Amino acid sequence: MKTSHLFTAGLAVTVFFLASCKKEPLNQLTQAESRIYISSYDSTANFSSFKTYNIADSVAVIRDGGSSKQLTAVDQAYIDAANKYMQQKGYTLVGKDQNPDIGININRIYNTTTGVIDYTDYLDYGSYWDPYYWGYAGYGYYVPYTYGVYQVSEGLLSIDMLDLKNAATKGKIDLLWNGLIRGEGIFNAANADSGVQTLFSQSTYLHSAQ
Amino acid sequence: MKKITISFVYLLILSAFALNANAQKGQLKLNLDYSYSVPLGSFKKDLISDASPRGVNGSFMYGINNKWSAGLSLGYQDYYQKYPRDVYTTGDHEVTSAVLSNSIQTMPVLAKAMFTPLAEKKAFIQPYVSLGTGISIVDFSQYLGEFSSTATNESFTVQGGAGIMVPFKKNSGAGFNLGAGYNYTAYNKFGYKNLNSLAFNAGIHFPLK
Repeated sequence: MKTSHLFTAGLAVTVFFLASCKKEPLNQLTQAESRIYISSYDSTANFSSFKTYNIADSVAVIRDGGSSKQLTAVDQAYIDAANKYMQQKGYTLVGKDQNPDIGININRIYNTTTGVIDYTDYLDYGSYWDPYYWGYAGYGYYVPYTYGVYQVSEGLLSIDMLDLKNAATKGKIDLLWNGLIRGEGIFNAANADSGVQTLFSQSTYLHSAQ
Repeated sequence: MKKITISFVYLLILSAFALNANAQKGQLKLNLDYSYSVPLGSFKKDLISDASPRGVNGSFMYGINNKWSAGLSLGYQDYYQKYPRDVYTTGDHEVTSAVLSNSIQTMPVLAKAMFTPLAEKKAFIQPYVSLGTGISIVDFSQYLGEFSSTATNESFTVQGGAGIMVPFKKNSGAGFNLGAGYNYTAYNKFGYKNLNSLAFNAGIHFPLK
């Protein structure tokens, strides 16, 4: 191969390297763009038939199978945001001892191992949200619709809406609605309001008739 | 992907020297091209509408006679597009608000034939038409936010092209290439069909013997 050919080949190879770089999608995302907001609901529920609600005064922190209750500034920000948007949807906040129609639990979930998690497992509430808290000692929780399977490598925030109104009749506490927030910066109090707002605004069926 | 590309280029260079050492009858040429690709049809409508300035092609072409050559063509093209936040249905009674990104890399491996009609007339500018067929390795990643699902498939590909070759100097076997080609890539994954595109190429060619 002649020297001039080697030169042109070298030039071409340089162009090859420059032109063959992949645009890495994750590098193109801002922190806000990395976040996703998933909402799911029980299609048999009539959300307009519920009028009152109460939100648990702390957040369940579920980490690698264990759990505890905490109330950090971030947790309070999510509780406040859930309160705000529940009221915007027409629901009325009442005390826990005033028989609320809906109970709301908020959870921070961490998983330090990679893999696939079936959220029907985590929704075995008995170990971290004793039905006694809502005045239904001895009851069990029930998920009336199929959950997706998600892969979690860091953490997520979950908001669960529970049917307390019909618990006594059904003999169980149905999950009415679930909101999940995943991605970068979700455990930053400044992002709580916008995150919960997104979940509620995309859940157009959520509204009280009162 | 970058490792694959680097390995591919080094393989190309090593092969060039190897083929040079094992000279065959006729002329063996190496073409190296930069590629700018524009998605077409459902590829553009459903997946990525932005053109890709990130692509390369390389081919070894053996001269069967003065007008016809045949050989092996390898390529790489990276397509990417990010869509503004929107709400997507992701399950029964489940929706997800997300910024959606599509990232697709195609790597065609084609048997290629090239026809140069004016080769015997020793014209300074040589027009050509080409036809290639083979498979493309397609890496498709779809991101909802930072969370991705990925699939790698091999898809049947046909490529037709036309362009010109201009020698660096008179009677030189090396020169510039300039052309365009239509790529049909049969693809059927996640409900998406066919990754067709129009590619514009510019590069060089030089004889290996």
